[in-house]
Amino acid sequence: MKILIADDSRVMRQIVTRTLRQAGYDGHDLVEAADGQEALDKTMAEKPDLVLSDWNMPHLTGVEVLRQLRANGVQVPFGFVTSEGTPEMRQAAAAAGALFLVTKPFTADTFRDALDSILG
Amino acid sequence: MTANPTENDLRVIAEQVWSSYLDVDGSKPLLPVPAAKVVVDVTGSVSVTGAWRGHVLVGCSDGASRNAAAALLGIELDEVTDDDVADALGELANIIGGNVKSLLPEPCALSLPHVHVEGEAGRYPASTEVCKLNGTWLEESVTVSVLESTADFAEASAT
Repeated sequence: MKILIADDSRVMRQIVTRTLRQAGYDGHDLVEAADGQEALDKTMAEKPDLVLSDWNMPHLTGVEVLRQLRANGVQVPFGFVTSEGTPEMRQAAAAAGALFLVTKPFTADTFRDALDSILG
Repeated sequence: MTANPTENDLRVIAEQVWSSYLDVDGSKPLLPVPAAKVVVDVTGSVSVTGAWRGHVLVGCSDGASRNAAAALLGIELDEVTDDDVADALGELANIIGGNVKSLLPEPCALSLPHVHVEGEAGRYPASTEVCKLNGTWLEESVTVSVLESTADFAEASAT
């Protein structure tokens, strides 16, 4: 599968990549995006099978990316990996079509719980 | 009246960050130290606006900031660049700030992180310290603090 990892922090993109491997999800084609606009553009162009996105990013927030994707008819499975997980954000994420919201800091177990139905 | 975050809240959040990313095997914990013993060379911060206004800061000695970058990126210490340090401190501030925000009244918004050198003193004059965690990690200084913007600053900003 092709997985797009969107986060404005290179450190966090590296941690997400490492945690995917630690969770046992090896061998996937990983694509990175460094802000919300790049996440939207690369999702449209590269057609990943899954998007793991930060919420708070320059240019477009993660939930704005998701809303624009859905508005354009793109139904790619989409989950948030973010430092905030308020009930309001979880509601907004679900309403926009997100499958899950994982809060930082996370572990390989957290990833397995969120991703096993998609990647397992 | 909303209860502000406490030093114990910061300790719990920091322990989660350390056990997830910086001390995965439990051999390199963040240990509490007296405030007089900490040295801050680099600070990552995020601002909170909305129902509560202030800042969440992660301060590190130069050595701690480089150790953090190496651990987060999974690279050797001698491979760490200044950009790596800035990214690492910013992300630590973002993660800890996001968790602190969950303790604050809603609605609030979290800014993107900022990182600056020279420590934290004098950077946030229109604010008061709510709580602070002083620690040492791998014999290098780490601080986590929450500053609340003062009412005077809010009024001054509006004029």
